[in-house]
Amino acid sequence: MGSLTQLLYTARDSLTAQSYGLNVTGQNITNVNTPGYVKRDPLIETRALGTATTGSVTVAGLQRATDIYIERRELSARGSASAATEHDNQLASVEALFNDQGSTGLGNALSNLFSSFSALATNPNDPTARTAVLGAAGAFADRSNAIANTLSETKNDLLKQAQETTAEINAKANSIAQLNRRILAAQAQGEDAADLKDQRNNLLLGLSELVDVRTIPDDKGSIIVQASGTAIVDGTNTRALSVNLAADGSLQISSDNGSGGTTDVTQLLTGGKLAGIKETRDVDIFDVSSKLDKLVFDVANAVNAQHAAGFGQDGVSGRDLFDVGPTLTDAARNIRLGAAVAGNPAAIAAASTAASVPGGSDNAVALADVFNTALPDGRTAAETYGDIVGAIGQRKSAVAQAVETQNAIKAQVQTMRESMSGVSLDEEMVSLTKYQRAYEASGRVLSTVDELMQDLINRVGK
Amino acid sequence: MRVTEGMRYSQVLGNLASINAQHAQAAQEASTGIRVTKPSDDPIAAAELARLSASSSQTKAQLSTIDTVRGDAELTESTLSDASDIFVRLKELALQGANGGLTAEERATIGVEVSGLKEALLSLSNARGTRGYLFSGTQVSTPAFDTNGNFQGNDDAHVVGIGNSTPTAVSTSGADSFVVAGGRNVFADLDSLSTALANNDEAAIRGSVDNIDLARGQLVDARAKAGLILSKLDASQSVLTSLDTQQQKTAQTAGAADPYESYTRVTTLGQTLDRAIAVSKQILDIGSTNRF
Repeated sequence: MGSLTQLLYTARDSLTAQSYGLNVTGQNITNVNTPGYVKRDPLIETRALGTATTGSVTVAGLQRATDIYIERRELSARGSASAATEHDNQLASVEALFNDQGSTGLGNALSNLFSSFSALATNPNDPTARTAVLGAAGAFADRSNAIANTLSETKNDLLKQAQETTAEINAKANSIAQLNRRILAAQAQGEDAADLKDQRNNLLLGLSELVDVRTIPDDKGSIIVQASGTAIVDGTNTRALSVNLAADGSLQISSDNGSGGTTDVTQLLTGGKLAGIKETRDVDIFDVSSKLDKLVFDVANAVNAQHAAGFGQDGVSGRDLFDVGPTLTDAARNIRLGAAVAGNPAAIAAASTAASVPGGSDNAVALADVFNTALPDGRTAAETYGDIVGAIGQRKSAVAQAVETQNAIKAQVQTMRESMSGVSLDEEMVSLTKYQRAYEASGRVLSTVDELMQDLINRVGK
Repeated sequence: MRVTEGMRYSQVLGNLASINAQHAQAAQEASTGIRVTKPSDDPIAAAELARLSASSSQTKAQLSTIDTVRGDAELTESTLSDASDIFVRLKELALQGANGGLTAEERATIGVEVSGLKEALLSLSNARGTRGYLFSGTQVSTPAFDTNGNFQGNDDAHVVGIGNSTPTAVSTSGADSFVVAGGRNVFADLDSLSTALANNDEAAIRGSVDNIDLARGQLVDARAKAGLILSKLDASQSVLTSLDTQQQKTAQTAGAADPYESYTRVTTLGQTLDRAIAVSKQILDIGSTNRF
């Protein structure tokens, strides 16, 4: 049976517990808008003292309202959404290079080239028409060069971005490892380390935007962080990621293997900004560059073949209009006006025989007709160019759709996480009232015990 | 499900951002009348527009070609007409010269006019168009005939591409018109008359009348061929103009926004946006701190 003194201690414990509850509620309200903050719940439990029933209360600490599975899903969803968003952003600049609606594509230059042959056919002896052909051919070569160079520069930029992203990943991995160390130390001293875990969680969310992330907690409060299939954080240790160019020119993601070497983990990269960069650079830009090179190579060779068959005003044949090199590789980047015709309008071969110079126009007509002739792939130049534009549009459109889908998934998982870990002011209002009333009641118990003891002392004193 | 303050704010922001983006897109379409501003707006339409742009450019180039060569073709036709008219006058003069009552002096006077007509015929046969001498074939820098009526050009035609399966010849052969082998050498016929008049040779003058008729017939045939070229140009122009119109319509269909549809979307999304803002305000009011 409890004494008044024990009841006094019980009231004291209750005041302490309710005060703690008020304190935690205050923390929650204070951090209602703090990114990454996880709602805390005070752990208040019956004070056990041996087998006796004391009826008192004690504070066992606090609990962060988290769910490891929801957190993992959020990391994954953020990684996928970030990869799609980065891919979409980078593809927009590639798409802009082939936007004939915005007059930035190759289509106009291609059309102007063949129109200039038609115009030449109307008056092959006109120096202006000949100069116009050279101008249109030069413009086609220049536009091809400009697009190819921009694609090449974009590839270089993306390599730098990938390297900067990797440096950011490594910095965050180091910070997480340091937080693991501090959390282990705090928990060893009996502290809850909730603030440190929030910080670590924020870093993980940031990391998941950069690379695919998976976490594995251990029973001591530390976590292993896997990125691109490799453990970049293992407790307090880290393994750095790096980006270099592989032999085929694609990005190679490597992980420090801990023994002075590296391991190629490129194939395991599935999410985050790094994946978006790699997909754009090594798939889309590679693909569009190859198609552009083929189109330019085929057009240049078809035009050259027809041009070489004709005769210039000087009666000479066999001259190429374009210098495009012997192979497809970098054809769009390397194409130039042929050395034999550059600056020499009279060398444009409008006539099909030497005898028909200077008014012969049949080769100019044949040159214009190359536009309607199937290239080696079975499609005309205009059809092939349309195919390239359509393919880029399809790709960009599909990626934009993926962005919407991945963002919707991310929003859904974030809602689940927010529902689990976010602060609800309604709940906190109720908690505030609950602990406030309990605190007031505990104070009443204390004053009642005080009155009883006063009464007892007065009676004993008589 | 717990509903937290963060969820309310995220929902409000997400909804407003989404509707705003749709509204901006619809407003752009309605204000510009263009639905496809970049390939990803409609990849199939963008590819079609790229191909159409190329085809349309080619059609316009061919129409421009027709406009350019039409001038020379018309000039050729009118020149041959003038040349055949000369032979009408020559026949009159020949018949006049064949009159047995004329004296040698009177025939000599007719011969003077015939000589003048030869000069005129030579001048016509060396007429120049925009690309050079009309009747020189592809030797456009060389007069078609020398002062003696000898042909100096070639028989190569000036060809252009105007949408037909094969190149179209748009020039008229000077040799075929004036000095065709197996046909009449119109300058020689004219010279024969001139010589007969000078020689006061009534029989030769009478004999030249038939040749003058044949020469005129040859020039009329050449003029008819020149007329056929003009007809071909007209026919091609008609086809290409229709094609150009059709290509523009197709491009309009593929890339342009439907004005009614886009205006309706702008209006509808504007109303949706207004409602979303009002609802958002209510949601945020629920989440206000008045409860404290």
